[in-house]
Amino acid sequence: MRKLIITLSGLVFLAGSLSAAGNTPTFTLGWSVYVGWDPYQYMAKSGLLKKWADKYGVAIKVQRFDYAPSLDAFVAKNIDACAMTNMEALDMPAAAGVDTTSIIVGDYSNGNDAVLVRHNLTLAQVPGHRVLLVEKTVSQYLFERGMTINNLSSELKRVKYVNTSDSDIAGAFLGDPSQDVVVTWKPLVSQILRGKGITKIFDSSKIPGEILDLMVVRTDVLNRPDGSGQRFAKAIAGAWYELTAQMSKPGPEGDKVLSSIAEVSEDTLESYKEQLATTHLFYTAPSALAMTKSDQLKKTMELVRQFCFSHRLLGDKTSSPDDVAIRFPDGSIQGKKDRVRLRFDASYMALAAGGKL
Amino acid sequence: MSPLQIHAQPSRATVWTLSWLLFAAGLTSYFWVSRGRHIENPDDRVMPTIRQMGQGFADALLKPADDDEVAPDADKQSLFAKIRGGMLWKDTMATGRRFLISMALLFPAVILGLHMGMFPYVGLFFLRFVLFFDKIVALSLLPILFIAFGIDEMAKIMLILIGVGPTIILDSFNLTRGVPKEQIVKGFTLGAGDFAVTYRIVLKQIWPRVLNSIRLNLKAVMIFLFSGEMIASQDGLAYRIALLRRHMGMDTIIPYVLWVALLLFLIDYGMRVFNRKLHPWFQEA
Repeated sequence: MRKLIITLSGLVFLAGSLSAAGNTPTFTLGWSVYVGWDPYQYMAKSGLLKKWADKYGVAIKVQRFDYAPSLDAFVAKNIDACAMTNMEALDMPAAAGVDTTSIIVGDYSNGNDAVLVRHNLTLAQVPGHRVLLVEKTVSQYLFERGMTINNLSSELKRVKYVNTSDSDIAGAFLGDPSQDVVVTWKPLVSQILRGKGITKIFDSSKIPGEILDLMVVRTDVLNRPDGSGQRFAKAIAGAWYELTAQMSKPGPEGDKVLSSIAEVSEDTLESYKEQLATTHLFYTAPSALAMTKSDQLKKTMELVRQFCFSHRLLGDKTSSPDDVAIRFPDGSIQGKKDRVRLRFDASYMALAAGGKL
Repeated sequence: MSPLQIHAQPSRATVWTLSWLLFAAGLTSYFWVSRGRHIENPDDRVMPTIRQMGQGFADALLKPADDDEVAPDADKQSLFAKIRGGMLWKDTMATGRRFLISMALLFPAVILGLHMGMFPYVGLFFLRFVLFFDKIVALSLLPILFIAFGIDEMAKIMLILIGVGPTIILDSFNLTRGVPKEQIVKGFTLGAGDFAVTYRIVLKQIWPRVLNSIRLNLKAVMIFLFSGEMIASQDGLAYRIALLRRHMGMDTIIPYVLWVALLLFLIDYGMRVFNRKLHPWFQEA
């Protein structure tokens, strides 16, 4: 018994001294497979991220997750930064009281998300049919926006959603010809469209700039008194824009980078390029900065927060969308001033745009 | 006498205390960590407090799901009507129906196993295939299952049957084989026919053990059912959990998980009692 206690306390001591040994602050960045986020993995593998991390005196670990678990890990504060959409940033960490800051607006979906049908149904004919999608995600947002734009929002009540896991949605729709409507994202969309008699009737290019892909960092990490959080954010921004510059180079030089990115996410260059074609990636910092500072972002977030609130994604006890407030780069706030939970910070993109990183 | 010896005889009070100690430790550490998280972040949703969970459970019990139509006279309804219209009741009914159908469909599996054990030709025909099939991880063949069974109720029930059926068949087969040959010979010498021997001598004897094996497979049934509901569905307990996960509704998920555990415990207990009542001569379980 005594031996056991000695061994255990020895172990505890060892673990304690190990964690104290590293002087460079270490941060973890989580990402999941998606065209706009695949570059993060390449960034880590190619040594680009390490170069920038060394410059700012931090260490950055990059970890791949499935999308939902990456959000869980971020909310549980197991990781410091995470790639997610504007909608999830609002309804997962922000709504759960984890103050979150978006440091990079990476891209928006410009056709990546789509509504696909059999038998050439039109949007007006969809009510009454069953719709396969991952409920309460951007898929449902896209579908309901499409219905609203086409003045069909009163019909939404008649739509029957079948909550379908994204890992099986392509197989489920292709395998079961009695299903008529599916809403999902690329590369699943491309896969499903290869099936016979399936057409696309709506996609995110009709609501440009509304489904944004962000890199977010916990605000308390950014505000660490030793400034390491800010150095971490600067390192990410620096590496990101160096990589996007490489990606946008024309000809074989850019292709080489793109195919390496595709490779680390087990995709092919051809398929990756096809996905990029329907993604509006902000290759340069000034373009991302302009988007982040635009009024359009405010309009988008207004739509998104109303959607989240009406679908109770902000929590059962949240009585108003104002309880999860959003702060924009110009200082304006949507919602209650004392309840800011999501912040769009343009300063890191501005530093990159000014070449000051 | 040292309490750590085999011959130790704990008193009643010790038995009671010791058996609940881990529960108490688990609950205490949960609420301790939960409290810490709530002090740091009042909006924390990962580890809800007992009040939040109570509220979540009450809402699930009394209020309809948000995508359901609310009855116009909802306020005036009796408590019973409210529960019947509530989210928890509807989800439990949907999952319960699938569960009962698949349990009912597991009984033919027992009969098949019995026949495989008794009749050489039936055994030859099925045994190798079932042995092979038993080792297939059904969940990884989902796309094929979708083609064969669609994504509706049928697919969910088939997933359970494919997952658990072979185990039950093989178990009944082995139990059948375990019945002493002498009894079968004796049955024949007393003038019984093939079917009388099969059903009235062998089946009768293996029945309590088969029930036991079905009981031990309850959890597997539930795991397959939950996977099915999480893959594609419009109702059910696992459907609700999958949806609530999307916005970290742990205040409802935890009561749901406990509710499922309670139901499983009750079914398990019920089957044990039923088995003992039905086969008082059987002492093993």
